[in-house]
Amino acid sequence: MTECGAHSEKGDELLSFENSVGKDDSLRLTVQGKAVQYSGDADVRSLLESRGENSLYANVRINGSVLRRRDFENITLSDGDKIDFLYFMGGGTCSI
Amino acid sequence: MFDLTEEEILRYSRHIILSEVGGAGQQKLKDANVLVVGAGGLGSPVLLYLAAAGVGHIGVIEDDVVDVTNLQRQIIHSTTDVDKPKVYSASESMKQINPHIEVDVYHERLTKDNIFSLLENYDIVVDGVDNFPTRYLINDACVMKKKKLVEGGILRFMGLVMSISGGETACYRCVYEEPPPPGTVPSCAEAGILGAVAGVVGTLQATEVLKMITGVGEPLYNRLLQFDAEALHFHELNAKRNPKCPVCGENPTITELIEYAYTCETQAPDSST
Repeated sequence: MTECGAHSEKGDELLSFENSVGKDDSLRLTVQGKAVQYSGDADVRSLLESRGENSLYANVRINGSVLRRRDFENITLSDGDKIDFLYFMGGGTCSI
Repeated sequence: MFDLTEEEILRYSRHIILSEVGGAGQQKLKDANVLVVGAGGLGSPVLLYLAAAGVGHIGVIEDDVVDVTNLQRQIIHSTTDVDKPKVYSASESMKQINPHIEVDVYHERLTKDNIFSLLENYDIVVDGVDNFPTRYLINDACVMKKKKLVEGGILRFMGLVMSISGGETACYRCVYEEPPPPGTVPSCAEAGILGAVAGVVGTLQATEVLKMITGVGEPLYNRLLQFDAEALHFHELNAKRNPKCPVCGENPTITELIEYAYTCETQAPDSST
């Protein structure tokens, strides 16, 4: 991982995914600054997809450290993790 | 004594009445030199607001011509400007808003061969480009020449802004070390862009420039601001300098400008550079 020392500001809103209702194994995460209860598969790609995000569009930081893209499926999320999506936005007509 | 005419004092009175700006701040704006790269979705609001604000010397570089599909967001251009080089269309709009400013037009693409000479004439650079190769080129050049840079990007319903003081604060590569993998990030042409999102992000960029020039407030240094129009949510990330950053880190590996291949499919850097 590349240590960038970045972190998100803690949000105070609690959002819940529908599929997390009634499950005991859900994780409490801070995603994009908002508190989230998450009970999907505990890897980054699953988290992205559960939020309707295309995992190709973004870099991801967990607790301030940038993940390598190939680790999206290997890193297991833990309770309390702070996850930020760093979207690539090139704009215009011929982005890569 | 300020070098402002009576007409200018009247025109900028809503600036001057701000105690944080005042006549001294307006004079700084008049004396400022800003280069805006791109006269598109982001460049449009940036150029319009900098011109209106009385930034005395504005450069705009862009090699494209106005297309009818630009007009949904590129508000510096009009329907009658279709097929006209964007730099001329933009310059005309700026002069109509404010005849007191000077506009340098560069109807060309920004490259590793012209960027350093261009930067010599400007103190602040605004990134309103449409591609990653130029985005990284601007970042690297501003780090090497210790220029101030206001980064901006847009896609679909999202935007980002980040201010950089080259060599002093976190740069774009500190956060996005390398361009995205080939073919992974769609362009606005492919993925779409809500026109007003360009206005939000470009206006934030213009605000940052005006703050930098006047010294008002705190620039968005070492921070990255993401804008999500769908949720109407701003998300700010702290982004301190990365010691391993390839261009501004402790042992930089990029010591000369790199021009990544400019194509929608190819990502490899041009090794001849």
